Amino acid sequence: MRNVLLIMRREYLVRVRTKAFLIFTVLLPLLIGAVVVLPNKLMMQSTGTRHVVIVSADAELANSIKAELSAISAPAEDEAMPADSSPGTKKAPKAADFEVSVETAPSEQLRQRLTTQVRHGSIDGFAWVDPNAVITRKGTYYSRNGSDFVEAAQVSRALRFALSERQLAGHGFSAAEAKTLLGPVDVDTVHIDKQGANKSNGMGAFFLPFLLLLAIYMTVLIYGLYVMRSVIEEKSSRVVEVLLGSVTPIELMAGKIIGVGAVGLTQIAIWAAGGILLGSGAVAMIGDTMKDAHVGNTVLILFPVFFILGYATYACLYAAIGAIVNSDDEAQQLQFPVTLPLILCMVFAAAIIRDPNTSLAFWLSMFPLTSPIIMFVRVSQDMPPVWQIALSIAISLVSLYGLIWLTSRIYRVGILMYGKRPTLPEILRWIRYT
Amino acid sequence: MAFTLELAGVTKAYDEFVAVDHLSFNIPEGEIFGLLGPNGAGKTSSIRMMIGITVPDSGAIHIFGQPLTRRLLDRVGYLPEERGLYKKMKIIENLVFLAQLKGISVPEAKRRAANWLERLDLGRWGNSKVEELSKGMQQKVQFIAAVIHEPDFMILDEPFSGLDPASSMVLKDALLDLKKQGKTILFSTHRMDTVERLCDRICLVNQGRSVLLGGLREIRASYGRSSVQLEYEGELPLLHNPALVASSNDFGNYVELRLAPGADPQHLLQVAMRTAKIRKFEMVEPSLEEIFIDTVESTKAVTHA
Repeated sequence: MRNVLLIMRREYLVRVRTKAFLIFTVLLPLLIGAVVVLPNKLMMQSTGTRHVVIVSADAELANSIKAELSAISAPAEDEAMPADSSPGTKKAPKAADFEVSVETAPSEQLRQRLTTQVRHGSIDGFAWVDPNAVITRKGTYYSRNGSDFVEAAQVSRALRFALSERQLAGHGFSAAEAKTLLGPVDVDTVHIDKQGANKSNGMGAFFLPFLLLLAIYMTVLIYGLYVMRSVIEEKSSRVVEVLLGSVTPIELMAGKIIGVGAVGLTQIAIWAAGGILLGSGAVAMIGDTMKDAHVGNTVLILFPVFFILGYATYACLYAAIGAIVNSDDEAQQLQFPVTLPLILCMVFAAAIIRDPNTSLAFWLSMFPLTSPIIMFVRVSQDMPPVWQIALSIAISLVSLYGLIWLTSRIYRVGILMYGKRPTLPEILRWIRYT
Repeated sequence: MAFTLELAGVTKAYDEFVAVDHLSFNIPEGEIFGLLGPNGAGKTSSIRMMIGITVPDSGAIHIFGQPLTRRLLDRVGYLPEERGLYKKMKIIENLVFLAQLKGISVPEAKRRAANWLERLDLGRWGNSKVEELSKGMQQKVQFIAAVIHEPDFMILDEPFSGLDPASSMVLKDALLDLKKQGKTILFSTHRMDTVERLCDRICLVNQGRSVLLGGLREIRASYGRSSVQLEYEGELPLLHNPALVASSNDFGNYVELRLAPGADPQHLLQVAMRTAKIRKFEMVEPSLEEIFIDTVESTKAVTHA
């Protein structure tokens, strides 16, 4: 046991200290973040504080518009642009997003003067609202850059609210009542499954399982391959001969797999901690795509469980491959059949996320080489019956037990065999060696 | 006499290929023992069983008088024929890790590693990575890894390969020093000159079998002064005369030969003088190399007959 710990410790420290670990830890979330957030972000780009002038002979209306525009700074109340409500962005404080002045004496000279100011950039735009706008429901917004539709949309929204408030007031509604009437309506998509109703948002419901799937797939694959490379390294540098004078092959294999797996768990822990630290920021960054996506505690607990099952399964297989081959080149050819089921998981994933209860999904979530990933996808998408989860884990554990027995026997012979790559019958004979 | 290592009828086969065939020998405590044999004779297979990497199909291995167990292996040091170190790790990290696996504490391992590095002229390389070192330096580090836990029994596979003469000297002194401390050493090599100078006893294996076993001095003496060293100019067709010469090792103008049983050395000299100019003629005990080649050739002949 002491030997397993020592091997594990070395494996862990050597890997955690590499630049590759650091880069991967930082890069993967950035990459995923970029894919999810960037398009959103680019669309919603806030251009900093905007200085806007409201021109209306009706001072009350003008002030009402001003109030609405300023309110946008507060967290999104309805379909308001989420990017602008993100506390995580490094732009100026949101409260200053719109700096609004009011002019109550419209004239042609004023229009000329404001146009010049827009042109020179001392203000960003001005809204021209006729007093009869309450009836016509029309206004004009002058800005330097007409293509900034976000800004225009916000002004339009503010105008719409102010006008509606005025009309409602005309019908005898109090200001508070008007506010309620104009307030946002929450439409939640309610997703009905066997366990009951779960709130979810279409996009979020797709994205979150997909992100988790990507994370579990990448970590299982990458850390499995690390195990293989580590075995090849020890074999080709002949360290293994020295080690086997002190430890048994099974101790060596176990220490290696646990050590590399611990690196994987560390990475996942760093990502999780980072996610919690960034917390609301991250959620806001991902924006309304994700805001309704729910991650149950069960899913959070099951993530490491399925990672460990999947990783251990593939690590054993990759360790055996590493022991069979003499070099990375030889490994390239052999690793494909082992990696294939993993790739299949990704191929079927999209279909399974959309419909997690097909019989294909069921069987893939029972087959030991795909079950950790596919069952996890099902869990994160639409909690399957508990017996199915339990059965999947049980099958995984039993097959893992057999796999450890089998691969450790191949491993123990293979690491001492140099030269020609063995044929399959030879490998099968190894299993019978004492 | 206490034996550090006892092999009794040890046999190991891989499929149909018998790598080690009923190998038996004992190494008394405090001796330097040479395990010799041509390539593929079964030396590495035997050593792997001695350090528990593989298990014999039949036969018994005792270490320090007890059946071989993992626990006993903490008192054994092993230097494999090829360098076995983590290339990307620092020298000191390699040594400490390997020492830890043998049950040495970290501070103690560091202290010993520093001492050994100093002694083998590697003092300033401790913090370098293995891959930055020359082959000879790596070999010295490997040697330190084999002795850092102060084992009572060391198994060294070709310890001098890749070493320059100066380093060989340093290493040889270190070995003799260990012997003085009462440690037992098993050498596996086919470099006869080192064996001749260092070993007390040898076992020559060929095709998995022990073909010659005993004290070096006795073995050489048993061959008697039946060997002739000749320096010559010209031709020596008599080398192919089985009535005179049992075996020979010809270097063109120098030959070591063993007389055929019953052959008269004086007669041989006379025959030789007819075809060549003889510069030197000496009756000697055979060199180990001669015995080695001779024995290997004759066992081959037996198996092919």
